[in-house]
Amino acid sequence: MATSMRGLTQFIADIRGARVRELEEKRINKEMANIRKKFKEECLTSVHRYVAKIIFTYILGYKADVGHMEAVNLISSTKYSEKQIGYLAVTLLMHENSDFLRLVVNSIRKDLESNNEVDNCLALHAIANVGGAEMAEALAEDVHRLLISPTSQTFVKKKAALTLLRLYRKHPEVIQSAEWALRIVSIMDDHDLGVVICVTSLIMALAQDHLDAYSVCYTKAVDRLHKLVIGHEYAATYAYYKVPSPWLQVKLLRLLQYYPPSEDAAVRSALHQVLQTIMANCAEPSKNVQHNNAQHAVLFEAIGLAIHLDTNSPLVGTAAILLARFISSKETNVRYLGLDTMAHLAARAESLEPIKKHQATIIMSLRDKDISVRRRALDLLYSMCDSDNSELIVGELLRYLKVADYALREEMVLKVAILTEKYATSYKWYVDTILQLISAAGDHVGDEVWYRVVQIVINTEDLQEYAAKVAFEHLKAPSTHESLVKVGGYILGEYGHLIANEPGYSPAEQFQLLHSKSQFCVAATRSLLLTTYVKWVNVFPEIKPQLVNIFDRYRHVLDAELQQRACEYFALASRPEDDDFLPNVCEEMPPFPPRVSALLGRLNRKHGDTEGDKRTWIHGGKEANLDKKAIETKVVASDSNGQADPSDIMGSLAGLDLSAPGNSAAAAPEQGSSKPPRAAVGPSIDKWLEKLTYHGEGVLYEDVQIQVGIKSRYQGHMGQVAIYLGNKIPPNTIDARSQSQQLLNIECKKFFSQPPILTLSYLAGSHQTVSLKLPVTITKFFEHVKLDQADFFERWKLIGGAPREAQSVFPIDLAPSGQLDLKKHKEGRIDPNPNNIVAAGVLHMSLDGKVGCLLRLEPNQDAKLCRLTCRSTSEEVSAEVLKLISKPLTAARRPPQS
Amino acid sequence: MLSAFFIFNQKGEVLISRLYRTDFKRSIADVFRIQVVSNSDVRSPIITLGSTSFFHVRINNLYVVAVTKTNANAALVFEFCYRFINICKSYFGKIDEEAIKNNFALVYELIDEICDFGYPQNSEIDTLKSYITTESVVSQNIPADESSKITSQATGAISWRRPDVKYKKNEAFVDVIETVNLSMSNVLRAEVDGHIMMRAYLSGTPECKFGLNDKLVIDKSQGGGGGDAVELDDCRFHQCVRLNEFDATRTISFIPPDGEFELMGYRSTSNVKLPLRVIPTVTEVGSGQVNYDVVVKANFSNKLAATNVVLRIPTPLNTTTADCKVATGKAKYAPSENVMIWKIPRIQGGQECIFSATAILTTSVTNRQVWARPPIDVDFQVLMFTASGLIVRFLKVFEKTSYQSIKWVRYLTKASGGYQIRF
Repeated sequence: MATSMRGLTQFIADIRGARVRELEEKRINKEMANIRKKFKEECLTSVHRYVAKIIFTYILGYKADVGHMEAVNLISSTKYSEKQIGYLAVTLLMHENSDFLRLVVNSIRKDLESNNEVDNCLALHAIANVGGAEMAEALAEDVHRLLISPTSQTFVKKKAALTLLRLYRKHPEVIQSAEWALRIVSIMDDHDLGVVICVTSLIMALAQDHLDAYSVCYTKAVDRLHKLVIGHEYAATYAYYKVPSPWLQVKLLRLLQYYPPSEDAAVRSALHQVLQTIMANCAEPSKNVQHNNAQHAVLFEAIGLAIHLDTNSPLVGTAAILLARFISSKETNVRYLGLDTMAHLAARAESLEPIKKHQATIIMSLRDKDISVRRRALDLLYSMCDSDNSELIVGELLRYLKVADYALREEMVLKVAILTEKYATSYKWYVDTILQLISAAGDHVGDEVWYRVVQIVINTEDLQEYAAKVAFEHLKAPSTHESLVKVGGYILGEYGHLIANEPGYSPAEQFQLLHSKSQFCVAATRSLLLTTYVKWVNVFPEIKPQLVNIFDRYRHVLDAELQQRACEYFALASRPEDDDFLPNVCEEMPPFPPRVSALLGRLNRKHGDTEGDKRTWIHGGKEANLDKKAIETKVVASDSNGQADPSDIMGSLAGLDLSAPGNSAAAAPEQGSSKPPRAAVGPSIDKWLEKLTYHGEGVLYEDVQIQVGIKSRYQGHMGQVAIYLGNKIPPNTIDARSQSQQLLNIECKKFFSQPPILTLSYLAGSHQTVSLKLPVTITKFFEHVKLDQADFFERWKLIGGAPREAQSVFPIDLAPSGQLDLKKHKEGRIDPNPNNIVAAGVLHMSLDGKVGCLLRLEPNQDAKLCRLTCRSTSEEVSAEVLKLISKPLTAARRPPQS
Repeated sequence: MLSAFFIFNQKGEVLISRLYRTDFKRSIADVFRIQVVSNSDVRSPIITLGSTSFFHVRINNLYVVAVTKTNANAALVFEFCYRFINICKSYFGKIDEEAIKNNFALVYELIDEICDFGYPQNSEIDTLKSYITTESVVSQNIPADESSKITSQATGAISWRRPDVKYKKNEAFVDVIETVNLSMSNVLRAEVDGHIMMRAYLSGTPECKFGLNDKLVIDKSQGGGGGDAVELDDCRFHQCVRLNEFDATRTISFIPPDGEFELMGYRSTSNVKLPLRVIPTVTEVGSGQVNYDVVVKANFSNKLAATNVVLRIPTPLNTTTADCKVATGKAKYAPSENVMIWKIPRIQGGQECIFSATAILTTSVTNRQVWARPPIDVDFQVLMFTASGLIVRFLKVFEKTSYQSIKWVRYLTKASGGYQIRF
């Protein structure tokens, strides 16, 4: 090769030798011109050399726009050197959506089918490297065949397995995971361990998503482990420092953790034996670092599996003892893994006793020199905390917080806050701890933490006085964090009067303390303080002049929010004494409805499932793990609900959550599983809805903030509803007093009786949601049909009576003129009785086709009764139409005006 | 003003580093290296990062960089950089990496002399040469009066000239050198960048008066001087020219420095006479071939001649071969630059030369883009011709001894890189 590529070597030498970029560019331009010339002349002998030069140029970062076609042709060459360069060029020069790849697919397939395994391998490389969707679709089948074929060489099988893994990761949909499961799993029995390792990697990826289809692999994995660990059946080349293929062992042990423990006793005992042997092997550490590493890798995975199988088994006991040894090891990596695995144990174990024995060591680990070890120690402490040791652990964490890394603090604060709340033995302790937390690590305390304190204080009556005192004491510190000022402001505002009579807590002192902090705070905190002051105006008349003075001053600040509050409070405070408006406004806050703490959500959000390999557990005790499952199922449920996430249709008026019925009107009854959102109710809402049922346009909903108008048009089975959203309050995304329009296209697919529901959410001060029934009824999709008398009655009779007839008799009020005036579907005077009114229409539905409908209204003027008969080819339709038509006639007891 | 001055080589290595003030550390050089030298996107000569501005001039693969934290006058900073380059050229012939490395002690001496605490000082080459010498000097040997002369000159009213210059033959050479920048399909932009260089070998302290065309409009705001007047957009003078006199009476009078200096620089954008007309016809035949027909016409008196004419005619990027046919000069395809180069040693005034070529393109190209058709680039020189029409009417020399002096005037119009014709 070296001799045949002399030109290339020279070219590379020239470029390496170029002193400045310009020279390099010149050399490349010259070479490219030469190559273009050669390609043009179609010299076919040394194309691969030129393509090699192009590849080199491309690698240097220059554009390569010639030679693609030549590369494609090289692939189908019979010479290895040419084929290899061709494949190299294809994988390097062409991106996965390149048009040229279509030309290559056939050559690649031919190479996959070839008997020469070197060609097979080149083709597999190309597929794995390019991994385009089209290629995956066309060739996944062939790769799979190569994998399962008994005639394939071992190294081809290995490559095929890995290629399939790559394709699965990129395009999971092209792999028929379930159909291929048995054949793929059967390869786990291959006599070559290399193949087994590759296939196990593939199965690990597939099994995560298709647990059931791949469940056969469970016994195979156990079997293989048994052979490796106990039977010592493996080729000598696969022993790594005397550990039998640690990579395979780790993979198998991890794979087993995806599945629930087996029911089969034989399998269980085999697995038990394996785990026991692994743990026994590690009983005495060896001197050799590599050997240790391999052994530990297997051991930690084995412990993970043991925990997964049964937390009460004696194996776990052994594991705990081993882990205890590891967490005090000299090696950082071992300590890390030990703590991590112990956190796993703590997260799953029934009893934390074995872990608590090592509490002191774990707390020591918080001061480890390596930050990732510290992190793990924190996780473990969080997981192992229960009501017995909570005070100790939280105390320790608080002490550590002051010296902890900044990167760690936010998470620590959240964890401390959660633990404190969860395991609080007394509320006093809780309030003490949290306030201490806020003053120690103010910057890292999220808003959720202090919201939660306020919630709990307000909801717990006997805590209020104590909380006020403690907050006051904490505020006395020379420098206080803003969050603390907020908590203090809120609590003293609400409950300051409870402690006002004690010495040292007089209103004037409270006021002075709090106000002295206000100048260091941002506007949001100051506005909170203003609210505190107005509450004090109510309860402490003695400091009213000072407070009013402050309001007066704040009336001239530039910040709009502050200014508005100050103006309002000033007006409130300056009302006459005997007015009871102020006390009413400044009532104590009612208790909050019980809520789930937002803290956990915050913590979970911080972690996120970023790892490609799914973890089978999370930090934070047994309940947390149970919770996680519940959440997961909930997420799945809400996904299947078919409700689109609130999409940003118009900025803050976000989340015009078009629940499923809104999109396909008639689909509503079908989705039994999705609970329709509860529609807003109210007399006026019903009235609006009713009106719109018979009108094309009008107001659907209106309150102080928003007005929803509707304009609709129907044509056959299609309908178009324009929703006008009007904003009735000042500045917002939708300008004040203006409207924004949202168009819905509605298609009537089949019969339906419940109107679709529109869920509208928007931000106006707070997040608000309104669910409205849309005035879309089956009658909207009727189209008027002209029939003459004969036709009408012929059809009338054809449809016949019940069940396709619906009839009702109801009393009517006659209009002053003694006439009924109906426009809808009016068919003129067809009926022999001139007073009777008939109508005909066709209901268009896209899936169920058309349904004809005939209507006959027979008023009896004397009896003031009216008989409405509706016949249609579908009994449901008859009933529904009857219901809808008779409603305005009966309910209002007067004929509709149009 | 300047806080630091650096010279970098092509790779961004610092060759010369001088900090004039304390507001920077040496590490500021790294910032320039990262932000400018290794960032190929940067084309602007001024980069401002935060409150720091880097002014750089590239010459022969060197970066001459001035750094400032203040709002310095950019024109002044660049003038300083170019002046430094000229001084270097005058001291050691050429300026490139090797010359700087070989003379680094001298360079430090020079930059310390021409700039003090960031303020540019006397940078007159002849004056500098009187006390910064390249030969070794034994300090005792300098006579006291010699050094005091240097002092009096450097601090005196005419810092650019020593009083005791004596020549046997009193001569003055004036060179008017004009560079034409042109961009045309029809004329989009034509401008002349002119320099009047003077070499004065005159005894004593001569008083010179210099006259240009009769119909000369300097500064357009005064109103046009008729259709055929020569208009100069802006001009700048050597420090020896008495500006107040120029402002009052429009006469250029000065006491010249001894030796070579640039008396005046100017720019002209109106009534530019283009010495060479180039008429290109380029047709793309299908996607595989491009035909060229280029005609060059010499547009000046047939007594004059253009020399060293080089046309660079771009070819598409996917050209395989190009076949050129010319009657005068030589033409060949240079694939390394994607151009055809047509060299004509001499074109007499009024003459016409014709070039025709066919470029064959390869068609098997991926992502084929439309050819951007870069402009044809023409380089040439025409002696005794000024594109702006500027003419030196007279140069009078008055001296106390009233000796006779000989004056020589030469004109040169040239183009190098800026004379571009689009097609």
